[in-house]
Amino acid sequence: MSAVVHGVIALVPDACTSCMICVRECPTWCITVESHAEQVSEPGARRPRTVSVLDRFAIDFGLCMYCGICIDVCPFDALEWAPTIDHSSASRDGLVHDTERLSGWRMHE
Amino acid sequence: MSTLPDHLRVYRVAAEPGTRVIVASVGLACCAMEVESAVRLGLLRTDAGDAESAGRTILLVAGTVTDALAPAVNAILATLPPDTLVVSFGACAGTGGPYWDAPTVTKGIDQLAPVAQYIPGCPPRPDALVAGLLALTVEPSR
Repeated sequence: MSAVVHGVIALVPDACTSCMICVRECPTWCITVESHAEQVSEPGARRPRTVSVLDRFAIDFGLCMYCGICIDVCPFDALEWAPTIDHSSASRDGLVHDTERLSGWRMHE
Repeated sequence: MSTLPDHLRVYRVAAEPGTRVIVASVGLACCAMEVESAVRLGLLRTDAGDAESAGRTILLVAGTVTDALAPAVNAILATLPPDTLVVSFGACAGTGGPYWDAPTVTKGIDQLAPVAQYIPGCPPRPDALVAGLLALTVEPSR
């Protein structure tokens, strides 16, 4: 395993099940997950399945301790380290990055 | 005012030799170690600290600011030129970070003075420090 630069935390949106484990384990509560439930009907199934659909995943890097607990606890490997270090901001709000930016930081597609 | 106070460390960003960026570092906690690390790596150079020859002074607040310490940070800022830009280095200085729920910690130095640039991290890497400082010098309109 090569050395991983702990620059920033990236998101794999397709892997995220909106289970909220990262949100609850985060020491600084810097993760926001918004999701809704959808009914999925599959042919031959007796009843539709209910699945969570991720609407928004945001990390407030102003609060983030870069401890990586969210990465460790994610059962679906939906979070990973990425080497980006250039994410300083002129405003406090600019430190909050959501799904699109977080997934854009991924090293491997 | 000819010189900056003796107790402040003053650096220049090595990557920007044309622009003299003076960083008066207020090292309060572990973030100060990353600032020192940037010096060791040659990203920041120690400067003589002559305020009059400085193109722009940046007050880099690195570390946890408590409510008890906040007046000291304000006092340092008062000794610097009026156009000094305040840069918040690390989660504590930016928002209180891990101490977001502590009653004695200032929840971000923007409660003391307007912040020109927030560099996130706990602590931020030395190269993140330089990237943040350069972002500030590229866009001087703030």
